[in-house]
Amino acid sequence: MSEKKKYQFHELYLKKEWSYQTGAVLLALFSLALVIVTGKSWGVTGPLGMWGGWILSKLGIAVDTWAGFKATPVASYDIWKDLPALTNIGIVVGALLAVLLAAQFKIKKLKSIKNLWAAILGGLLMGIGARISLGCNIGAFFTALPAFSLHGWIFWISIFSGAAVGSKLLVKYFM
Amino acid sequence: MSDTTITIKRSTPKETPEQRARKRLIQFIASGVVLVLYILLAAFVQTKNPQGAFILLIGLGFGYILQRSRFCFTASMRDPVLTGSTSLTKAVIIALAISSVGYMALQMKATGLSLEKLGTDALKSVTQLPGHVRDAGVHTVLGGFLFGIGAVIAGGCASGTFMRMGEGFVQQWIVFIFFIIGSVIGMAVLPAIKSVPFLYQATPVYLPKLLGGWIPAIIFQFGMLFILYIIADIYGKKKSGEL
Repeated sequence: MSEKKKYQFHELYLKKEWSYQTGAVLLALFSLALVIVTGKSWGVTGPLGMWGGWILSKLGIAVDTWAGFKATPVASYDIWKDLPALTNIGIVVGALLAVLLAAQFKIKKLKSIKNLWAAILGGLLMGIGARISLGCNIGAFFTALPAFSLHGWIFWISIFSGAAVGSKLLVKYFM
Repeated sequence: MSDTTITIKRSTPKETPEQRARKRLIQFIASGVVLVLYILLAAFVQTKNPQGAFILLIGLGFGYILQRSRFCFTASMRDPVLTGSTSLTKAVIIALAISSVGYMALQMKATGLSLEKLGTDALKSVTQLPGHVRDAGVHTVLGGFLFGIGAVIAGGCASGTFMRMGEGFVQQWIVFIFFIIGSVIGMAVLPAIKSVPFLYQATPVYLPKLLGGWIPAIIFQFGMLFILYIIADIYGKKKSGEL
């Protein structure tokens, strides 16, 4: 048996990439399944602030006295009951499984110091932005716009403008 | 010295069939180990949260789907500007339209077909509806703009960051750390922003209520998505020289 034929199954069903449309349909269905069963919609960034607050509280900083943590104190935070926290773990492991099954897993190191600055600045801006607009590209967009909420539409336009500016900055400073 | 490293790196894609087979086997076994550990995690979480295992299953699906289809929300908003490609933008619009059908059904069930249950004891606020109907205003613009810049620079949005962490990108693990720091800063400054009436409008705007019923809301929602799909399609074809 030639090598090609032997691994035809692998190539076709585990390694071959799906179309964007396939991804779109499945993401929408999984997102709907989540809200139908749990009553809560998919989000991603909410837990990040809580995890940060939890770390600070372990370091002895009383974040629960801050106004920003009044509504959701770290003291009563339970990661196992936090829907986006669980789906976030799932996304990391699901993507890992997908690359392992495709035999494509590889640690991809930073290419240059510019990537480090990009990661720092990009991460900070996304974190701050998501908290101010009450969600990210999932919670304030993917499960907001289809829920007939105006803020989902506004968020889309705003993130689009931000992405245009970000593209210019990326080309100029981070490439 | 550095030249040697480059040569070695460039030669890796040309592995022998034996090396390739070995890599496949090792990674296949590793995927089994990961899956078993994940099932054990799900069993543990199930003891803490009756919906835990189901949520973890859907999350695993999100990661697998995002990775296999290279679905990236950031690219859907960056590529039209950066490369002129709109294939992902169109795919995102398809996903939004399908999700809209689902949320429409769920919300019609919750509000009644002519929004009659809205504002009653059973359904006091639109924020209780399925989906995220949340405060819309200047803060949305401000946060979305910062988020958009950040996502493009970081090389991935929120879901994309987690997906790339699983794929083995060191950059996204660093993004993750600063995403957390940024989120804490965001949570700390939000009350200050909320206290400025110009910056924060505490009004969730629900389109069926704003537009006066389900029919105009449906026309707006699907009409806009359809128009945007056509614009994206024509723009993409023009940029690639097809039109």
